[in-house]
Amino acid sequence: MVFNSLEFLAFIVVFFLLYFNLKGRFRLWLCLIASYFFYGMWDWRFLGLIAVSTVIDYQLGLKLENENNDVKRKNYLIISMMMNLGFLAVFKYFNFFADSFAVMVEGLGMVPSWNTLKIILPVGISFYTFQSMSYSIDVYKRAIPVERDFIKFATFIAFFPQLVAGPIVRASEFLPQFDREIKWNWDRFISGTGQILWGFFKKVAVADSLSLVVDNAFFDPMVHSSMQLAIGVVFYSFQIYCDFSGYSDIAIGLARIMGYDFPDNFRTPYFSKDFSEFWTRWHITLSSWLRDYLYISLGGNRGGGFGSVFFILVFMAIPIALTKSLIIIGICAALIIGTWIYMKQGEKETKTAYNYMNLMNTMLLGGLWHGASWVFVFWGFLHGSYLVVQRLIGPYFGAFMRFLRIPKFGQTGINIAIVYFFTCLAWVFFRAPDFTIAMEVINGIASFENFNWANVTNKFGIASGFILIGMLLFVEITDLKVNYAGLLQRSPAFRVVSFATILWIIAFFGTFGANAFIYFQF
Amino acid sequence: MKHIFWIIGLIALFFIGDRVGGYVLEQIVLKSKFRYSRLYKGEAKADILLVGNSRGLSFYQPYMEEMTGKSTFNVSYSAMPMTLAEVFVNDYFEKYGKPEQMLIDVTICDRDNPQLIAGFNAYSAFSPRVDSIVTATEKTVGYGGKFSHLFRYNGEIFQRSVFYLNKLDNNWLLDREIAQRLKDDLINVDTPSVKLVPRMVESLQRTVQYAESQGVDVKLVVSPYYKPFAEKLTNLDEMIAQVEKATNKKVYDYSRSMERSDDFGDYQHINIKGSRTYISLMQKDGIIPDKNQKIGYSH
Repeated sequence: MVFNSLEFLAFIVVFFLLYFNLKGRFRLWLCLIASYFFYGMWDWRFLGLIAVSTVIDYQLGLKLENENNDVKRKNYLIISMMMNLGFLAVFKYFNFFADSFAVMVEGLGMVPSWNTLKIILPVGISFYTFQSMSYSIDVYKRAIPVERDFIKFATFIAFFPQLVAGPIVRASEFLPQFDREIKWNWDRFISGTGQILWGFFKKVAVADSLSLVVDNAFFDPMVHSSMQLAIGVVFYSFQIYCDFSGYSDIAIGLARIMGYDFPDNFRTPYFSKDFSEFWTRWHITLSSWLRDYLYISLGGNRGGGFGSVFFILVFMAIPIALTKSLIIIGICAALIIGTWIYMKQGEKETKTAYNYMNLMNTMLLGGLWHGASWVFVFWGFLHGSYLVVQRLIGPYFGAFMRFLRIPKFGQTGINIAIVYFFTCLAWVFFRAPDFTIAMEVINGIASFENFNWANVTNKFGIASGFILIGMLLFVEITDLKVNYAGLLQRSPAFRVVSFATILWIIAFFGTFGANAFIYFQF
Repeated sequence: MKHIFWIIGLIALFFIGDRVGGYVLEQIVLKSKFRYSRLYKGEAKADILLVGNSRGLSFYQPYMEEMTGKSTFNVSYSAMPMTLAEVFVNDYFEKYGKPEQMLIDVTICDRDNPQLIAGFNAYSAFSPRVDSIVTATEKTVGYGGKFSHLFRYNGEIFQRSVFYLNKLDNNWLLDREIAQRLKDDLINVDTPSVKLVPRMVESLQRTVQYAESQGVDVKLVVSPYYKPFAEKLTNLDEMIAQVEKATNKKVYDYSRSMERSDDFGDYQHINIKGSRTYISLMQKDGIIPDKNQKIGYSH
């Protein structure tokens, strides 16, 4: 069941009617049953997976709380991690690793004799396993108290608004909210409805309309003109933003009406002035998860150790083994030698090198989190490289712009344009099914062949797309000054007009086919 | 209580704005010179009615009219299914009476296209037949258009009617030569085939029977394909035989009739230059009349 479907409309109306007429544990039970029903509508077979994950993490949480022996506590945590990562490994990555291993074995002249499994990817598995893992880690660190109420814990894991595509809500943020006394609240209803409508505008009107042009460009890049491909990439950058942030807006809005506060997941990411800022504005709950549980665990910016080196070497070894390309071998060798020489210079340099490795590892694993494909890993690699390069040359670039006496707003504009350009470059690999298509798109754009409007097809769709992007940017830019959320609360006239306007735009521009959200596949 | 007021206000404003907006867009559609707008506002009376999908645009109206001396009206649209064309033909007959001749490219029977039919919701206000085929094909779109009038105009068909707001679409045909890259790539194209959709053939059969019962000279043709592509089409003859059997009429096959690659825009479509050659061929074969020649009824 997707948010943008008539089934969900019926579901949510019935749910809210029941929700606000029930109290206490009955309401909690309703949330849990509704969440399992919501997920079961995708594929009821995977309900067992969530249930098993929930029961085991619940029990391990209790053991972690009650146990004082550090070794035993660590073992419980390892069991929890093994189970969650094991589910991910089997259901999401098994075929990917099996295929990659087969290619490597074939490269050594052997014939692999196993078949890949016919595994269906459970929707949203990466989201709820990360949520579950964060609970176990926090309980292990005694950062949060254990949840002894099983129904609360199960609802936290399966809560339907954010179950399949986030935002990833930490136990420390969410579980205490179950203890609040929740009543119908008009202010929450207004701001929640506003956010839901804005989410639908992003998804149904913008993302799904742009997808028609994007799918066409990436289906067979060879037949398209340079401008068509460039438009396809720009549209994809907005499609994925609107698709994913639209889902988050709807999830946050639904939760707000229900009485729960979820963290923001996006804050106008394409206005970022550098790549570090980008990751504080894009998929914020995943970035902060990776920062807290991976980047800092590897040493963060204070140093590193075996983990930092191990992951980076693994990520270097795999493309070498798969491609046996001398160029890749050369680049990797140069990087290893260069880093080793750099680290030899002193403690500060060693710390810096570890910091870069930790950044790169975090982005590579972040890329792999998105999907079981090397294009996602490469997307992570590009973003890792951007962060490293930015730290290396950023200060000099800023000084260079000041030397040229470029005014402040001009510097900001240039920085935003650079970040957007390189983000789009990385999106090409994220969207393309494989490296061949990605390179065809990039080469097609770079050729500047037929870079004119006359050679663009589906002009009507493209014109609509630009109008919709214009509307989106207008609202996002003016929101920085106007604060529409506050205005919605204060002014009933503004509320009525803005809600009606969004509904008209959705009716006129929306693409209605109950298209699934892109991030469901992750 | 104050919250109930703004919710009622929102609902009222939505529907008022929707109806006013829908009315404005309806007037834009009606004012347009797009072929279907002309059909429904009474500006489509013609001697020859042309029917097809994108390949039906090969009946390039400026040359047709110049070479035959007859007025034409083309209901063809890219990827149009025959069931939708049947609706426009019936509406044409109802509004204007019978034309002298009807020329149909029978490859229109090769697909159904619910998405395109739904797009024609923009014309449902003008035609109960369009309204009913849209609703029968895509219920949510049909009923959605009744709930929100703005929703009717959501799509390419409306956008095209805006594009043709002040200009005729009679010259809608490719004006480019098939790219060398496409010619070279033909070797990699899997063996193409034309698959008839039985429902479309039945629709064609009904349309032919109805037109002939009104005394219209109906001619069925297959417009030219880029010849090397046509040679790869495995079942074209079989398809033609099926249509001939269903309609009990001869199908004039021009699929392999044109040799020059500069007459084509791509594998399946002739360009403006090629359309003159094609129309001359049809004229030579007596499918369409010479200038001042009376159109005769024939099976």
